[in-house]
Amino acid sequence: MKRSWLKKIIGGLSLTSAMFVFQACYGTPQDFGLDLLIEGQVKAKTTGLPIKGIKVSVAQNMQYQITDENGNFSFYTEMMDKVKLEFADVDSVQNGTYANRDTVLTDLSEKVYLNILLENK
Amino acid sequence: MLLRLKKFVFRKFKNSAIKHHELNYLFWECTTRCNLNCLHCGSDCSKSSSFQDMPMADFLNAIDTIEKPSQNLMVVFTGGEPLLRNDIEVCGKELRKRGIKWSIVSNGHLYSEQRHNSLLNAGMGALTISLDGLKDSHNWLRNKEKSFDKVISAVELAATSNRLNFDVVTCVNQRNLKELSQLRELLIRRGVKAWRLFTIIPIGRAVKNSELLLTDRQFLELMNFIAECRKSNKINVKFSCEGYVGRYEPLVRDSYFFCRAGINIGSVLIDGSISACPNIDRSFSQGNIYKDKLYEVWQNKFEPFRNRQWNKVGQCKTCKEYKDCQGNGFHNWNGDMKNVFVCHNKKIENSRKYLN
Ligand code: SF4
Ligand code: SF4
Repeated sequence: MKRSWLKKIIGGLSLTSAMFVFQACYGTPQDFGLDLLIEGQVKAKTTGLPIKGIKVSVAQNMQYQITDENGNFSFYTEMMDKVKLEFADVDSVQNGTYANRDTVLTDLSEKVYLNILLENK
Repeated sequence: MLLRLKKFVFRKFKNSAIKHHELNYLFWECTTRCNLNCLHCGSDCSKSSSFQDMPMADFLNAIDTIEKPSQNLMVVFTGGEPLLRNDIEVCGKELRKRGIKWSIVSNGHLYSEQRHNSLLNAGMGALTISLDGLKDSHNWLRNKEKSFDKVISAVELAATSNRLNFDVVTCVNQRNLKELSQLRELLIRRGVKAWRLFTIIPIGRAVKNSELLLTDRQFLELMNFIAECRKSNKINVKFSCEGYVGRYEPLVRDSYFFCRAGINIGSVLIDGSISACPNIDRSFSQGNIYKDKLYEVWQNKFEPFRNRQWNKVGQCKTCKEYKDCQGNGFHNWNGDMKNVFVCHNKKIENSRKYLN
């Protein structure tokens, strides 16, 4: 009886090594992976062409990324109930001029892909 | 009685972890270049800038030998100073694509707002920054004026992120021991939630500088300081995994001492050597990624790490604590395997005897 009780505890422990959070002296704490990957492409509504140089930022923290020459962006950010993304044309007339836009993402899973169309200013 | 039962269960758990030896913490010594010249450097690992940085592709090839990475697997970029490399973000994203998490140990000097952003974007999930005291003692140990100010701004920045599992580590020595309370207050004010304290082992440059090493009584003072801090939950203070501390075990860290080197912790060192923690004597290396498959070595070698009976020698031979300590942290041994460098428990018991 005592043995089976002990077995259960020990068995449980071995299956949940993550339960004993550890770090080596010169290492870092463990990462619990509480983030999501946001990827997508920004295009001009009128022409359908990708837009470079759009700042894609997360309103709730300091994170941002600038779209590349294909209008693409891809970054990890903290998992939240809602993520508010802001798209802003920050390079003046270079690459055209577009109106800013916000998007609120809800029901998030580990990965989202967005197609964003921006209006000309 | 309860304590004995807990220890018993924990020993069983350790045996089970050893048997399964799941790789879930892999250091990559991605560079030995450094932008600092710390007084204690070389005391605990061999740092040399004569090595070229390992190409990212070589490391990723080694990673790809792991057929099914454990869902807890994390790569810890270490150095030298990893932020001297400008491909950390690219490598981090490659790791995330493979379902592997990653983190960085940094001295904080290059941790700018822009780098913070790009590292988070690339999926960094944990970060450790070293802060070794208040201004003068930190700058003394780091051997650089203004180091403190740079580190503080890095700490402030890192503390703004809810995403990061971030902590500060402090290498406790004779100069900063009396400042620890003030340092704790400073960290709380800067929004830091976790603080890890460790000491220096007497090898390399540290042997010649007695101020770097704590006396037995100072070590006891450190244990008491940590135990006291842990009564409050303003900041999670703990002693690092570096050694077994006997009666202080339940008081200074979240779980009992367990040196997981070679059990859950592996490393790929700058020259491709495969080992456990980078501060372990390099003669214990188990293979090399340029000759062997990382995962094959992990699965089939590492015998001295997983069966530590060999270290029942020297002062550990007749020690009553051996069952729980097993010869202390692996990094407290050198290749001659004759005796442990430091017995933390003995330091404590020595100074208690002296005080009684
Ligand atoms: S003598 Fe060895 S086994 Fe005993 S407490 Fe010290 S380091 Fe651990
Ligand atoms: S070798 Fe040292 S740093 Fe590594 S896990 Fe063991 S005690 Fe910790």
